[in-house]
Amino acid sequence: MANTGAPETIVVPDTVEELLGDDDVEQERPWIVLVWNDPVNLMSYVVFVFQKLFGYSREKATRLMLQVHREGKAVVANGTREKCEADVARLHAHGLWATMQRDD
Amino acid sequence: MNGRRFRRRPDGRLAVELHRAEAELLAHLAEELTELLETPDPADPAIDRLFPRAYLDPTEEEAEQSFSSLVAPDLLRGRLDALRALAATVRPPSGEVDADDDTVRVLELDADQEAQWLSILNDARLALGIRLGVSDDREEVALEPDDPLLHAHQVYDWLTYLQGELVEVLLDELPDTDD
Repeated sequence: MANTGAPETIVVPDTVEELLGDDDVEQERPWIVLVWNDPVNLMSYVVFVFQKLFGYSREKATRLMLQVHREGKAVVANGTREKCEADVARLHAHGLWATMQRDD
Repeated sequence: MNGRRFRRRPDGRLAVELHRAEAELLAHLAEELTELLETPDPADPAIDRLFPRAYLDPTEEEAEQSFSSLVAPDLLRGRLDALRALAATVRPPSGEVDADDDTVRVLELDADQEAQWLSILNDARLALGIRLGVSDDREEVALEPDDPLLHAHQVYDWLTYLQGELVEVLLDELPDTDD
């Protein structure tokens, strides 16, 4: 890395959990990203967004879209809180109704 | 007009065929959506739909506030940029003011403009659909000719058609990867 003379970056923990150190159980509980059914978004558009954002196959993206449509929601991604927040933000930017929660 | 509205050109750009009146309608919708976003009415359900919560759990309110303060400004900026871009692409060439001219124009979109068109077609349908109370079994709804919402429903159906055409082209181009 080039030396720009800038002061060294101080790494600040992003979350309280990170600062305090989580217990193992808490760290192992991943978050899930849900997409909810809405009457506006086109089925083909939802398939397109799932493929584009998550790299899913046509078959998997279609299966998830149909699950959203028929069951009202589907889990489309999972991972750490930070990853899920990023996924939810991308889904919102594409107009999909997405939320996240702890995986129970 | 028959055939596909969107066509991939050999140079990678996306060609869009629009009647003059359609281009004007898109420009008008872009103006309305810009106004809705720039001076949002907190009671407007379209705002909740365009900027949804990330967390439904009320005990995550702090995380929700943090998420929203990080994401919402970017989301808003992206939408306003896309609206400006779309308005610029549908603006008629200078000097062309013949109101009777309903010729078909072919617009050419680069990759950024293409993504912005897709985004705005969807946002406009969301905003309009929420206000019209569109439901899943909408196909069966028949409106009387004198229904004051008839025009809005026709605009919504046209946006649906146009977005469907665009998505069809984009879906065909996606590689079908393995999971």
